Amino acid sequence: MSELINLSLTDQILGLGDKAFSSKEITGAYLNEIKKKESLNCFISVFEEESEEKALIADENIAKNKARPLEGIPIAHKDIFCIKDKKTTCGSKMLSNFISPYSSEVFSKLDTAGAITLGKTNMDEFAMGSSNETSFYGNVLNPINEKLSPGGSSGGSAAAVRANLCSFATATDTGGSIRQPASFCGVTGIKPTYGRVSRWGMIAFASSLDQAGIIAKNAKDAAIALKYMSGFDQKDSTSLNEEVKDLQKEVDADQEHVIGIPKGLIENIKNDQVRDSFKNAISILEKDGAKIEEINLPHIEYSLPAYYVIAPAECSANLARYDGIRFGHRSESVSSLEDLYVNSRTEGFGKEVKNRIFIGTFCLSAGYYDAFYNKALKIRNLIKSDFDEAFKKVSSIAMPTCSNSSFELGSISDPVEMYEQDIYTIPANLAGLPALSIPSGTADEMPIGLQLIGNYLEEGRILNLANKFQKLTDFHEFK
Amino acid sequence: MKITEQDLKNISLLSKIKIDEETSDSLVKDLESILTMVNKMDELDTSKINPLTHPIDNTQNLREDIEKKDIEREKLQELSKEKDSGFYLTPKVIE
Repeated sequence: MSELINLSLTDQILGLGDKAFSSKEITGAYLNEIKKKESLNCFISVFEEESEEKALIADENIAKNKARPLEGIPIAHKDIFCIKDKKTTCGSKMLSNFISPYSSEVFSKLDTAGAITLGKTNMDEFAMGSSNETSFYGNVLNPINEKLSPGGSSGGSAAAVRANLCSFATATDTGGSIRQPASFCGVTGIKPTYGRVSRWGMIAFASSLDQAGIIAKNAKDAAIALKYMSGFDQKDSTSLNEEVKDLQKEVDADQEHVIGIPKGLIENIKNDQVRDSFKNAISILEKDGAKIEEINLPHIEYSLPAYYVIAPAECSANLARYDGIRFGHRSESVSSLEDLYVNSRTEGFGKEVKNRIFIGTFCLSAGYYDAFYNKALKIRNLIKSDFDEAFKKVSSIAMPTCSNSSFELGSISDPVEMYEQDIYTIPANLAGLPALSIPSGTADEMPIGLQLIGNYLEEGRILNLANKFQKLTDFHEFK
Repeated sequence: MKITEQDLKNISLLSKIKIDEETSDSLVKDLESILTMVNKMDELDTSKINPLTHPIDNTQNLREDIEKKDIEREKLQELSKEKDSGFYLTPKVIE
């Protein structure tokens, strides 16, 4: 049954509907593969028995012609999404004992659509990292070359999709955490518009930037999965009360595209292979009828500094809740209330999370607020305005996803060098725009991604363009 | 940008996280290199720009003011190691 796990989501839905195979067979095949590839360290928890039971129910529903849209499809959730009565660690020692008392909206929506949760994927601690090395549970290995990083923070989800351990996986993206690992593992990842997918029950890192999305085998699969995950949620105060478009239909529609390329971008790509692959990808789309326009994003180079003030500032506020009292790690060596706070937090958080809390605390402290935090928010406004102006004449914007392919685990120790991994992905988070990464070539024999950024709520349009590209190329095929 | 010993003390106090003496040198190095990168923001004159706290211009959603019981206190308190009669317990704060 190993061929079942190689199928795309689209083909799995068709096959289950036609009764060519059962959910029991496909779920069993994935569970076997997860065991076989345990050394990749993609999963923090696996729900074997429960998945098998749910598969039987799915098969009954299919037999009775009562199948829901994702009936019997085995998927994985990033371990940042709460699932009632299940451990939700967020890759941290702080939450290694946390059994969630409620479920995230992302889980509930996909569960209601009939998907089966095989388990929860590994990730950088509190989604802070670009290599998966900050996880308390050890790093994930890149399935294409196990000496290399799968990227982060959603490295477990990207590697699980690449290694055929699930049909698709949920993920989150605060500064590139879906797109960079998708690029490193040669899979498709989309971060929708801020507010498109509910953040209820998704553990917070930087609330004005965090957004849930999908990592899948191709754009068509990502469109289907995203369709069932999106929508207004009253429990999330920043949820968008806008109609959910039929992405499944839109991904295959006949659409015209005008692609914007930021002025000076190509000349500034340092890696020759990344530059050549980007130019090649654009020329493929141009030959297919897309119009190419030069656009101006004059403030984009300030995205990285602005992000590394805003994200740590929000992180330091969000992570203040971990006090050792109500939930999470509680220190044993305590003689005062102050000790309880300090020792629980010092023991529970890892180095990178502490660094970001320190930076955020510093930038928000008296005397520095205006120079750092307020300044970064003003720059955020300039970056958003640049995009607003650009989208007056183009329907999407193309950039590489990352300036390099995957790197060796343990090879980057300088924090700023690690942060530069997100140099092309951060602008979309600051502006709240939808953005995706699709495989577009290789550098040093490892996959690299093409990033497409869309206008607000135009996930369908960038997925349509990505699907066109995938019809013309085979970079997304697992070889 | 230089991080002084006093800055480190303040950050540690405000964030309620201990800074280990053995690692404080490497922490200072990391923080200084991050702040140097961040200082690039100073190249821009932003005196006439409004800060943008949120990417989407959206009014906060308010739900109907109806009584709801979707939070179970007992279930939430199961997560705490120290509790008694519905209260969370901490070390004594008043002698």
